[in-house]
Amino acid sequence: MDLPTANKRALSDKQVGVLLVAPALIIFCVITLYPLVNTVLMSFTNANLLSKYRAFVGLANFKSILSDPTALQVLVNTLIFVIVATLVPFTLGLIWAIVLNEGRKTSEFLRGLTLVDWIIPSTAIGFLWSWIFQGNYGLLNAVLTKLGMIHSNIDWLGRPGTAMIAVIVAKTWQTLPWFMAFLLGGLKAVSHEQIEAAHLDGAGNIRTFLSVIMPQIKSIVSVVLILGFMGSLQQFDLIWVMTQGGPASATTTFSIDVYTAAFNNYDLGTASAIATVWVIIDLLFVFLYVRRLKDDFQ
Amino acid sequence: MFERTFGFRVFYYTSLILVGFFVLFPLYWMINTALNPSPNVFSIQFLPLHATLNNFIGVLENGSIMRYLANSLMVSIATSFVATVVAAYAGYSFSKFRYAGRKSLMLLIMTSQMFPQVALLLTLYLMMKAFGLLNTYLALVISYVSFTLPVGTWTLKAYFDQIPNSLIESAKLDGAGQMKIIHRIIFPLAVPGLASTAIYGFVWSWNDLLYSLTLITSNSKRTLGPGLVLTYMGQFQSNWNSMMAASIVVSIPVTVMFIFLQRYFIQGLTAGAVKG
Repeated sequence: MDLPTANKRALSDKQVGVLLVAPALIIFCVITLYPLVNTVLMSFTNANLLSKYRAFVGLANFKSILSDPTALQVLVNTLIFVIVATLVPFTLGLIWAIVLNEGRKTSEFLRGLTLVDWIIPSTAIGFLWSWIFQGNYGLLNAVLTKLGMIHSNIDWLGRPGTAMIAVIVAKTWQTLPWFMAFLLGGLKAVSHEQIEAAHLDGAGNIRTFLSVIMPQIKSIVSVVLILGFMGSLQQFDLIWVMTQGGPASATTTFSIDVYTAAFNNYDLGTASAIATVWVIIDLLFVFLYVRRLKDDFQ
Repeated sequence: MFERTFGFRVFYYTSLILVGFFVLFPLYWMINTALNPSPNVFSIQFLPLHATLNNFIGVLENGSIMRYLANSLMVSIATSFVATVVAAYAGYSFSKFRYAGRKSLMLLIMTSQMFPQVALLLTLYLMMKAFGLLNTYLALVISYVSFTLPVGTWTLKAYFDQIPNSLIESAKLDGAGQMKIIHRIIFPLAVPGLASTAIYGFVWSWNDLLYSLTLITSNSKRTLGPGLVLTYMGQFQSNWNSMMAASIVVSIPVTVMFIFLQRYFIQGLTAGAVKG
């Protein structure tokens, strides 16, 4: 920087603005934009992690995914996981936010304690729930046996149907506090006058909730649901720690599928093709999110 | 907010007990298991009647786990610092400057958190390999910064928006240069926003498993997530008491930060964060 001072001063406001945003822009281009484009391009090749050479294979990877029966299973798994593991924590988070919003001093403390579930690392959460669902001497089997609800231990993580339930429960436990924090913020901002007016008009609690409170927290609800769906779609850590996608692909969602194809089978072409399909599905959420955000932009 | 009808009371107390139990009991179970002597797997102990710190001592004396912890600490602090600086400049630029393409750029950066990370990873892995950055902390830090940038930029822009333009104008009249205005006037006024962003970056890196599992290939450089998975999941018979103790140990740094900086935390976490 041996520019004379006079020249430095001459930088217009516009130029300073662009210079300030440059580092973020460069990181965005190199770490997000280029990899995204390149992964899509790689889906038309037979790229392999162990080989330097790659050739254009057209739509072969996509055709082989479509003819692979596990692809359909992964699609179904991902949809089940995304929908259930978002709507359940959302609903429980909303109920918990309503409960905490009513209480006084203890709810500050409870809110803090609840958020601890969210803050601890996913690996620790995965360990904890693997232990609770453990097939021989886990907590759940012990409690259900004591209550007389089961007669022999269930290998929760080793059976296809129950393994999916287990990872959904763990994900619910992890994200419930996040939904709660957002929704509690929304509830606190609701106008009290309107609620009192509704009560004076004889509206019951359910009526007040639906026609006074809901409209006022609607925009927060839509943001958390979009972000929540995207978070579930991306989910890798918990599933990887608890089941690694098993047993027999029963909990393999798309992130696990892409990871396994690329880093266990070294098949970058197929992995990129699966990823590309999901990027396209993901674009729907991006579109919804961008439409939401645009209103907030100044 | 709600009238104390009989129906509401039923709803309130049922939810308080059921959701409260679901949210809090697993935390108790983690602590309880970690305090029970190990291995203690054949009968369930609901209370830590024979409480011992041996499991914790075992974790603290485990050289590899302590190395993973130190590695994670290093990566998380670096990410936190770089992400805050880059996001602050970008946020300030978006807030106080007007130039062509500004809005599209904001949208573009905001959407970058939405693309599947595993899709980006396929190419990032090859890039890091080509540049000789595989198995370096730099690879992790650059990736984490890019993931925490959207939320950080957004949070900080909101802070800068509240700073009146007249303050900047009068500083200019006093002869202050842009750099001086940014570092001496603007940033000190946005400390809560900077703190939120720094915390968010730290927690993000501390939590990651996918990228550290892939981009770090040697055991000595491994961070917490993959380190713990490889330590405990490879065993034929898992030592759950020790696993719970290790889980608590790795949760302590973020939990302590949370207790002292709760206000900034909640701001950062609710600013549009997705925990993937």
